[in-house]
Amino acid sequence: MPEDHDLKAYKVPPTRTPVAERTTSVPNPVDFFQTAFNYVFDAPVTFVRELIERLQNKNNFYYYHQKFRRVPDLSECLEGDYLCYYEAEAQWRRDRMVDQEIVEIVRERMAACKQREGPNQFQNCAKEMELLAQVTKAYQDRYGDLGYHGNARTCLMKQKHRMMEERKAAQEKQE
Amino acid sequence: MAAMSRVLRAAAAWAARRAGSAGTTRTTGITGIGPRLPGTLVPVRHSGDHGKRMFIIKATSFYDSRFLRLLRFYVFLTGIPVAVLLTYINVFIGEAELAEIPEGYVPEHWEYYKHPITRWIARYVLDPPEKNYEKDMALLDLEARKSELRILELEARRLMRHRGDGPWYHYETPDKNLVDNSMKSTPDN
Repeated sequence: MPEDHDLKAYKVPPTRTPVAERTTSVPNPVDFFQTAFNYVFDAPVTFVRELIERLQNKNNFYYYHQKFRRVPDLSECLEGDYLCYYEAEAQWRRDRMVDQEIVEIVRERMAACKQREGPNQFQNCAKEMELLAQVTKAYQDRYGDLGYHGNARTCLMKQKHRMMEERKAAQEKQE
Repeated sequence: MAAMSRVLRAAAAWAARRAGSAGTTRTTGITGIGPRLPGTLVPVRHSGDHGKRMFIIKATSFYDSRFLRLLRFYVFLTGIPVAVLLTYINVFIGEAELAEIPEGYVPEHWEYYKHPITRWIARYVLDPPEKNYEKDMALLDLEARKSELRILELEARRLMRHRGDGPWYHYETPDKNLVDNSMKSTPDN
């Protein structure tokens, strides 16, 4: 089953709808629809769910998120040490997956902020926008144009070229 | 419709015959019981539910319904046990809950999955990923040693061929005492 939205992750600010004073004696039709919805859908579904949860409370077994040990990086491997290469490659792939998930989470936060704010999104979501811009730029710098066959070695070469460019730019700025 | 028109035609023929034979006017409409002449119009009484039983001629549906019957049978033969099993597992056993890894506890490799069927498969059917990792590393180690030895052998062979001071690359040449130099011994041959 897909994960439900984690409501505690995105802090929705409290609503500021003003308290309305009743000026008519006609009952609010929304109340009728709400009670109808409650009896037709909400109550049976909640009943079944609680029944199932009561049945499932007896056996509790857990699942964990795997923690991997850090191994020496590709830049710390000796040349020709293929075992070190393999472990560094596996670690680099795991790190890339983690970075992809981080970018996804920041994007979702941005989308939630936009949905929440509506027309004032450009003012109120500035922090999320900046965070998203920074995170995507960092991701693009590190994993950007490696392509489908990108591995730890090509990423290291890309980093090397980036550092060379930076050094050249620093030298030109000095002169 | 065809029967009705036939009855009417027969009635018209009988009426014409009777009129032709008798020549007198008769009351139409036949009442009362008694033997009837053939070709007379008779009000027919049928059962009230569906009316007259008709033999409806249509194409056979035997093969189609047999196909659907067999399809349903074979689909439900394994479908119903699988559905019952899945319902039992999802309702009575349920999925695992996410928890932090307790201190000093190393979870087994199947305890990283949520659904009970996935956990069962990871536990009893598949190999642990650590075993796969170690197998790959062992293969890499063997191949690395083999490639290293092959490179060393090629280098040794090259050097021994070049320098000629090693145990390899010794070729048997014929004895120099067997060579007959009489052709070249005198200058005027």
